[in-house]
Amino acid sequence: METGWRERLLFAPAGAILAGLFAVPLVALFVVSFWSVRSFALRPDFTFASYARVWTDYAGVFGFTLGLALTTAVICAVLGFIFAYGARFHAGRYADGLVLAVIVTLFGGYLVKVYAWKSILGADGIFNSALIGLGVIDQPLPWLIYTPGAVVLTLVHFQLPFSFLPIYASLRNVKTETIEAARDLGASAPQIVARIVLPQCRAGLVAAFAFAFLISAGDYVTPQFLGGPSTTMLGQFIAIEFSTRFNWPGGAAMSFALLAACLAIVGAVWLLVSKRRRT
Amino acid sequence: MTAMAWLWRALLAGFLVFMLGPILLVILFSFSSNALISFPIGDLTLDWYRALFRNVEFWSALKNSLIIALATGLISTAAGTMAAFALVKFRPAVSGALIGCLSLPVTLPPLLLAVALVVFYVRFLDLPLSLATVIGGHVLIAQPFVALIVLARMANFDYASIDAARDLGATRLQAFTKVVLPQIRAALIGAALIAMAISLDDFIIAVFTLGGGNTLSTFIWGKVRTTLDPSINAIACILLAFTISTTLVALKLTKYRG
Repeated sequence: METGWRERLLFAPAGAILAGLFAVPLVALFVVSFWSVRSFALRPDFTFASYARVWTDYAGVFGFTLGLALTTAVICAVLGFIFAYGARFHAGRYADGLVLAVIVTLFGGYLVKVYAWKSILGADGIFNSALIGLGVIDQPLPWLIYTPGAVVLTLVHFQLPFSFLPIYASLRNVKTETIEAARDLGASAPQIVARIVLPQCRAGLVAAFAFAFLISAGDYVTPQFLGGPSTTMLGQFIAIEFSTRFNWPGGAAMSFALLAACLAIVGAVWLLVSKRRRT
Repeated sequence: MTAMAWLWRALLAGFLVFMLGPILLVILFSFSSNALISFPIGDLTLDWYRALFRNVEFWSALKNSLIIALATGLISTAAGTMAAFALVKFRPAVSGALIGCLSLPVTLPPLLLAVALVVFYVRFLDLPLSLATVIGGHVLIAQPFVALIVLARMANFDYASIDAARDLGATRLQAFTKVVLPQIRAALIGAALIAMAISLDDFIIAVFTLGGGNTLSTFIWGKVRTTLDPSINAIACILLAFTISTTLVALKLTKYRG
């Protein structure tokens, strides 16, 4: 089909929104990351000082953030696969209901979920009060909240529907006939999963991993509520630079350093997964 | 075989409990006389809702949220639908790349979008932060969902009906309003509702680009940070009622099947 001015005109509003509110602001943020700040005033400049500061002052938090996001993303991809596999092949007539429940939780209150886990895991929360009520313990368990585990648990809960859906979508393309044929030819269940199912949902798995990884790495609400003083993530420092410290170049440099590291890791995972296809 | 089947059932049930459990607890405790989410549950009460409805700040947050959500729904549905109509005409490679570009903002952490928008609005445009600046950010993250929903509807659209209308003398505009629009109306409403759910659910873009006042989500944030006010459960429930009902109606309208 010929694409004329009419189509270009139709695409223009969405394209303009994308350019004006995404591409240009990101470039602006990138430019500001090379600026400097003197007595709370921004100064156009070309210095790498803010990036150097990310390395000298925040290397620890940076590494911790990536590790925590990586853990979350791997758990999301694995659990997402297990549950999507179950929904696709073992849920029977409940499959549609399951998928509906997952979609309903997609936009079902990001902040509400974080708050819910804080209430569940907190010292006066449902776990501790139930265990104390049952007489199992007499003091609240201190390790339930304000730990890396609590942050990962909450991030997984929030990200899992976003991981489930792309994997489920690619599993829908796996034909039951292929699986039955493999079984008839003597393949065991693990063999079928490893050699027929997994290779066909590679794209879905990488998408689930990448999305969970990027979003968790940039989160700051979850660690603020559930991380406590010992578990802090880079996002919290980025937010502080912009909201109270007014050090925009610092926050911008942290944002781009984090984004670059995340994209490098996602790229490495993609290479690793697609390499296995050729051998 | 039956043991395996039971194992899968238990696993999937566990998955559902994990996904829905925390949300159901918040809903349950919004009706409980117990101030915190803890056992024993206490008596049923509507006190938290009554307290909330007497709170002037709640009404202004609700109003702001609804204004932002409605504007996001309208603008992103218009832009996303127009984009979808263009995308079906482009070559598959081009339209695939363009869909990827439109979806990019959704794949990045919202914090990055929020701070980029603040820097751009305040320093480069010298624009005061307001409801309008939030709407801009929300349209950006909602329009790819609209475009994808409308594209999915256009995949099994009967293009011959447009040709027939044009052959019978309808103008392009008439063909659109009398033939195309009635066929895709449900998908458009569904897409607008999803866009509204995305807008209502967002907290990070809203808190950075709002300037003054509150939306429902920043109102919750303020309460969680300062006090352990039990009316948080009630606000959370109202927010959930909005996002979940719009999503459910949207799924029904777009006839989403798995």
